[in-house]
Amino acid sequence: MAPVAFLVSVAVFLLIHLTPGDPAAIILGEEGSASTIAALHKELGLDQPLTTQYAIWIARVLHGDLGSSLRTHQPVTQAIGERLPATLELGLAALLWSLAVAIPLGTVAALRRGSLLDVLASGFTVAGVSVPNFFIGILLILLMGLALRLFPVGGFVPFTEDPFQNLRHLLLPALTLGTAGAAINMRFTRSSMIEVLGQDYIRTARAKGAPWLRVVRAHALKNALIPVVTVVGIQVGSIIEGALVTETVFSWPGVGKLAVDGIFGRDYPVIQGIVLIAALSYMVANLLVDLTYAYLDPRITYS
Amino acid sequence: MRRAAVAIVLCLFAAGCGGGSGSNTTGTSSEGTPKAGGTLTFALESELRTLDPVVSTQLVERTVFYQMYESLVTIDDKLNIKPGLATSWVPSSDGLTYTFTLRKGVKFHDGTDFDATAAKFNFDRIQKAASSPRKSELANLDTTEVKDPQTLVLHLKKPDSTLLAQLVDRAGMMLSPTAVQKAGANLGLNPVGAGSGPFTFVEWKRDDHLTLKKNISYWGKQAYLDGITYKPITNDDARATGLKTGDFDIIRVAAGKDIAGIKSDSTLTYKDTASLGFQGIELFHGSGTFSDKAKAQAVALAVDRSQVLKNIFFNVGVISHGPIPPGSWAYDPSEKIYDQVDAAKAKAAATGFSFTLKVANTPDNLQEGQLIKDQLAKAGITANIQSEEFGSILTDTEAGKFEAALVGWSGRIDPDGNMYSWFHTGGGNNQGLYSNSSVDKALEDARTTTDQAKRKQLYDQAQVMLVQDGAYVFINHPVAAQISRSTLHGYVLYPDTMPRFVTVWKS
Repeated sequence: MAPVAFLVSVAVFLLIHLTPGDPAAIILGEEGSASTIAALHKELGLDQPLTTQYAIWIARVLHGDLGSSLRTHQPVTQAIGERLPATLELGLAALLWSLAVAIPLGTVAALRRGSLLDVLASGFTVAGVSVPNFFIGILLILLMGLALRLFPVGGFVPFTEDPFQNLRHLLLPALTLGTAGAAINMRFTRSSMIEVLGQDYIRTARAKGAPWLRVVRAHALKNALIPVVTVVGIQVGSIIEGALVTETVFSWPGVGKLAVDGIFGRDYPVIQGIVLIAALSYMVANLLVDLTYAYLDPRITYS
Repeated sequence: MRRAAVAIVLCLFAAGCGGGSGSNTTGTSSEGTPKAGGTLTFALESELRTLDPVVSTQLVERTVFYQMYESLVTIDDKLNIKPGLATSWVPSSDGLTYTFTLRKGVKFHDGTDFDATAAKFNFDRIQKAASSPRKSELANLDTTEVKDPQTLVLHLKKPDSTLLAQLVDRAGMMLSPTAVQKAGANLGLNPVGAGSGPFTFVEWKRDDHLTLKKNISYWGKQAYLDGITYKPITNDDARATGLKTGDFDIIRVAAGKDIAGIKSDSTLTYKDTASLGFQGIELFHGSGTFSDKAKAQAVALAVDRSQVLKNIFFNVGVISHGPIPPGSWAYDPSEKIYDQVDAAKAKAAATGFSFTLKVANTPDNLQEGQLIKDQLAKAGITANIQSEEFGSILTDTEAGKFEAALVGWSGRIDPDGNMYSWFHTGGGNNQGLYSNSSVDKALEDARTTTDQAKRKQLYDQAQVMLVQDGAYVFINHPVAAQISRSTLHGYVLYPDTMPRFVTVWKS
């Protein structure tokens, strides 16, 4: 993991610094002049050579310090820490929604291949994957927020403050974020289920006279879920990236929104910190996926 | 430099303010008897960066400052300078000192007394800052002297007729020295007790909400509202929808496409007045295409301003004929150079050339760029649209790497703020390297003259010359707007676009 993390740190540092746009000029905006920009460069340490800036940054990172935002001077770890709970809540809710739709629907579609339900499920998949989530978000805002007035159109209330309001604010962004995942997961469940249902051991189980439902649940589904777990693992690892657009559309105060603001403002330490943490969460998710395989398939063991 | 900044403001404005000709003004009558109570929810189009006026650079930040901080002087809705924390002021005959008499009995929210020592602390803080945009605003300030607790003297390096207008905004905002020292580096995020205004700071949870509550010990007339909650809602649709559903009481800007729907909704109020800014095309005169004045003039002749205003800004705002905004005392409505689009005349000036026009990659900006491209094509001029993310345009224009760019200016109270830095040789915002010694002379003289009639004459002269030169292709002046629920009353529109919620009440 360490070499990968190091490569990620170099890549993100170089990419963001090579992107056109000057943080000082953006911060100063209308108020900027050659002299004020130069003064701010100096204050922010942007007048140093790139290699020096990287060395300073990576030395801090190794001590657990991601630096401070160029724009607000808030420590990056604190900024991410404040917003992480909101992002995790949204990401997990979206994941739950996607699995709650995908697994039953995918299973039924596989069992009733070619039926109307299967066709509809395939239609849902195409739509879910191809419609961008900002569009789904805006449709939900217009329908559920403006036309039906059932849910707030944006914002956030902490769960600890008012659980009911928290869930009301959560619903639309979670549906938005989870829909694409639901479509993908459903597709994987369906195709994997079809493959498993054609296996000899399923025929054997049925020949033994095991009840059909039990065969599906205990013999087929559990095995069919292995590829799904892989995909879900990637989705868990990408909660932060997935939330970029959704959090912006719904003004959800999470890490994704922090990243978007950081990118537009060329707030190097913020972007670097978030990308590093996102990369680490990918690695952790992959590890968890591997461990889950062993549970789902007893033939897999790790020594 | 700052012109790129304007692009952002411009996008916001463009998105939000387009059209109508600065018409309505304040509503004080016919709104019933003011009622105290209630909290106002105000949706902004972006999150603030800091609550420290010394380092502030964003327009949205000022919408908070004007409720909790106060300046030495303030303005009325006609841009006249009025007493604020200073009750009177006297310039010396040579214009080199200003003596301010400060208001008695004013306390900051943390209980600290406001006096000349506190005021000096604030001016010194600007002068000592490592980097602060306020420094250039107070470039002519030499020293600050405390004569007695109620008397503050500002000594200037040279006469500066723009000083009072500068002091209206962040350069003149007074913060409690005790609170500033206590907050230290955290002042920008948590300025507890720092202001003296009608509302006090409560908390700021970034990207979520910022709350202010009524200052019950306010020295002036108390606010009606119990508090204000600011919410950063970046999505145009979510902001407009939230206003319609009542999630928000007021929004700062709406997308041009939503204005008609807002105007026709009886549960909502839309009013606007021309703001201080201008929008149009900045040209690079230093070398290349537009070092040839005739080509700049051809572009100015070929742009159909009314078509842009109608199709891009939905007729919100007014056509611009120069940098002086309609709300200014220096404005002259009869000055209409390049009023009529004239492709034939443009062709006679220069034709058959092409240039690259940079536009920000927002829908409104892209559409405006496309429309201008079509208009110029009729005069045989080819504009190649290059759309870039705003941050890149900012950096490119500041480095002088552009031929033309669609960027504007949010405007300043004093006409000098809309002219000197943009069109004086070497001015801070003159990235287009425009230079005309007669314009320079008029702008310099206007700075050192205190006689307003004389200044107006000088600005007129400068404006005629620079517009005729095609220094910048002026297209429109955006608006300051009230976009709120109709249950909101007492809102006064100021051309500087800043809300002052002290007079606002909810029914």
